[in-house]
Amino acid sequence: MIALTELLPLSDTLTPADQAELTQIVREAYVDATPIYPIGGGTSLDFGLAPRDAGLGLAMRGLKRVIDYPARDMTITVEAGITIDALAASLAKERQWLPIDLPNAHQATLGGVIATNTYGARRYGNGTMRDYVIGIAAVDGRGSMFHGGGRVVKNVAGYDFCKLLTGSLGTLGVITQVTLKVKPRPECSRFVACRVRNLQAADRLLESMVTTRTMPAAVELLIGPAWQNDAALGQLPAGEIGVVVVGFEGTEPEVAWMVSTLFNQWHRLGGNPVAVPDDQTEGLWTRLAQFPVEGSAALVIKASLRPSRTQNFIAGILQIDPSCDIQSHAGNGNVIARLSQFGSGGISNLLVGALQPAAVEHDGKVIVLSYNQPSELTRQAVWGSTGDAGSIMEEIKRRFDPKNLLNRGRFAYAG
Amino acid sequence: MSAATLPNLVDELRGVVGFDGVLAAHADLVVYECDGFVIEKNCPDVVVFPRTSQQVADIVRLANKHGVPFVPRGAGTSLAGGCLPVGGGVMIVLTRMKAIEEINLRDRYAIVQPGVVNAWLNQALKGTGYHYAPDPSSQGACTIGGNVATNSGGPHTLKYGVTVNHVLGVEAVLPDGRIVQVGGPTEDSAGLDLVGAIVGSEGTLAIVTKAWVRLTRDPEGCRTMLGVYDSVDDASNTISEIIGAGIIPAALEMMDQGILVAVEQAFNFGFPLDAQAILLIEVDGVEAGLDAQRDRIIELCKKCGAREVRQAKDAAERLLLWKCRKQAFGAVGRLSPSYCTQDGVVPRTKLPHISRRIREIGEKYSVRIVNVFHAGDGNIHPILLFDERDPEQIMRVLAASTEILDECINCGGSVTGEHGIGVEKIGFMHKMFTIEDIDAMERLRMAFNPDGRLSPCKMLPTAGACGMEQNGKPHEKAIVQIRPGRRAAL
Repeated sequence: MIALTELLPLSDTLTPADQAELTQIVREAYVDATPIYPIGGGTSLDFGLAPRDAGLGLAMRGLKRVIDYPARDMTITVEAGITIDALAASLAKERQWLPIDLPNAHQATLGGVIATNTYGARRYGNGTMRDYVIGIAAVDGRGSMFHGGGRVVKNVAGYDFCKLLTGSLGTLGVITQVTLKVKPRPECSRFVACRVRNLQAADRLLESMVTTRTMPAAVELLIGPAWQNDAALGQLPAGEIGVVVVGFEGTEPEVAWMVSTLFNQWHRLGGNPVAVPDDQTEGLWTRLAQFPVEGSAALVIKASLRPSRTQNFIAGILQIDPSCDIQSHAGNGNVIARLSQFGSGGISNLLVGALQPAAVEHDGKVIVLSYNQPSELTRQAVWGSTGDAGSIMEEIKRRFDPKNLLNRGRFAYAG
Repeated sequence: MSAATLPNLVDELRGVVGFDGVLAAHADLVVYECDGFVIEKNCPDVVVFPRTSQQVADIVRLANKHGVPFVPRGAGTSLAGGCLPVGGGVMIVLTRMKAIEEINLRDRYAIVQPGVVNAWLNQALKGTGYHYAPDPSSQGACTIGGNVATNSGGPHTLKYGVTVNHVLGVEAVLPDGRIVQVGGPTEDSAGLDLVGAIVGSEGTLAIVTKAWVRLTRDPEGCRTMLGVYDSVDDASNTISEIIGAGIIPAALEMMDQGILVAVEQAFNFGFPLDAQAILLIEVDGVEAGLDAQRDRIIELCKKCGAREVRQAKDAAERLLLWKCRKQAFGAVGRLSPSYCTQDGVVPRTKLPHISRRIREIGEKYSVRIVNVFHAGDGNIHPILLFDERDPEQIMRVLAASTEILDECINCGGSVTGEHGIGVEKIGFMHKMFTIEDIDAMERLRMAFNPDGRLSPCKMLPTAGACGMEQNGKPHEKAIVQIRPGRRAAL
């Protein structure tokens, strides 16, 4: 992780104790036209474009209360600065959880993961933050607090600000309070893994997931040195390109049946599946969640593609950097790659000239999750194209943040 | 619309969609004067049936050129007046855009045009091992475009979520006539989540002309049970107990005695007519875990006072049971000439409280109320029975509805779980949201729909209807139609 001061040009940092204080700070900043950089746990400040204008840091760590937790309704209302671990600890008391894998959970805040729309391997079975935020409060760029949604799991009153703010990188409003729907913790969890010699072999196994009768929580393809000697997956011998990993969760009989069914299914396809030992299961989930932020790769990208096209895209990345680390949420068509070599011509050129067109060819897109020289990157390189809806996004931004103060210059807007 | 403008517009619309794609005679237009919310009605000036996205865009441009409002409509099954043509103008009926353009199992999506009836997609998917999960009760008639506009739910929302959880992307015509695509066959949109903004926007931000929808693997099996209760409270408590035990059923529906009688008369399922409530409970997933879940649910039902718990003995009985549930609203026709279905939501744990309050409110206003609930997610559908020929009865029904929905808000809930605000519930928006919230919603709407010509006077109490102004004054028709108190009632 890069130091805060290197990432944000801050003149000062304020830490409001509650929503009212936060609103007042933003109002004053609006009058003075001071840019504002919301800071949750500081774990994703290298996500997005590097800001160029000095501004005010708005530390959210003071807003961390649990407002209401009616466990029988399976909803929880919390302030946005709560850390993911603290949220998980509250929910664990009632054997519930937010079933989304998030890196740096001890530090990352809920508001931050919503603003960045972070998700992980369990996306296949459980979706993303977009599916769990049912109520939201935020302070827009003029210092006006607004709410959307509510505290009930089914609600279509008004426009869905929960969706609009998820993934908006705090550019429409500083998220202050959130209501989530949560789920019961599953009784049991297990993995089936199968090493593969090449991408074609991986694709055969992954394609078989289309017809499987099992209900996986995660369908992953792991490639590269980071996974070559994993405690749960064992040593990957030379000549094998990676490992397909499928995670199951549910009751003990459900999981046992699904493990044995997939085992047999992959055997029939000529694979050699193994069950990950029970005592390694939790560790593997953690490593899957931590992958994008671990280590010191020069560039981390995330592609969203049609699932059937992930292998083609991965082949292209491996040509650019044969020793890169890859975690593909293959069932969903996501590819996260950590690259350290990218040839000559500059990193923006690589992204705009090679990786983005390759993703577009598969109906997808590429964004940059982090880069160790952020100032070198262009908007097009980091976010790609917003397509023909870009002008609507910019119009929404203008109406929620007319002076362009919130995370100025960091998101996908043009200009 | 002025008498001088209309003939020109009709001619130009015929130029876009052909002679048979335009209705302009009053007798034809009456069919389109309302949706399932029958209390307020207004005829459009012209109805047009496009077959392509480009035709929709051309129609929108023509409406803009003539300065008249326009409103999209699917099958017209919505229940809050979402496609009521306030101010007249052009109604764009999308039912001729009914192609399923692609089904892609490997990548788990389908591309559908907006006029595809919800149930058609699942018929097309039969035998593939996949289905489209959102299943509103009107799925035999409602269109997927309409589902996208209202973010519809259905009995299986509890486990599988509402429409927005299953929409990957949309192609839409913006109010200025541009065609845009947001999202698509892959899972993450670039930039802001405009798919999330458009789904559920009740046709006020854009007209959806195509949708990429997520396909869901069929569960290997299911168990369907029927808990029979002597009290609504016991049935309501069972819901909390099941969820509290960590079981998320695929569906958890409640019917009270009033509706049970109507359903039994219609379908002869064999429901015990003396029961005060029944719970329809379904769990699905891999076979291996289902018997254990079923046993646990039966145990919890009995613990909460169920006098018996039946199981659907085969697929045919399960289908009949679901038919009874899904056509419950139709069966209400046996009870009274007219009915008004409400769509409140409360936290699940407040179901016993709201059930009691609904009974009290019914007694207070001398209105007979029967109930069918998506109880698992707290979405209640009290059905208020009346005779629309009697204005006094209508006033009592409206007053009782208002009190029920106010109580939902007091419980921390919402006035709509799946049917939307439309024109019916605009008066509740200020009760649920602050002035700042509504201002923010207005700003979002203006970003898409700055002239207010698309679906004016819907959803937001301040919803600008610039397109309906004449010489700087609001259009007379709009004001008459939108006034609280309901023209039909008066």
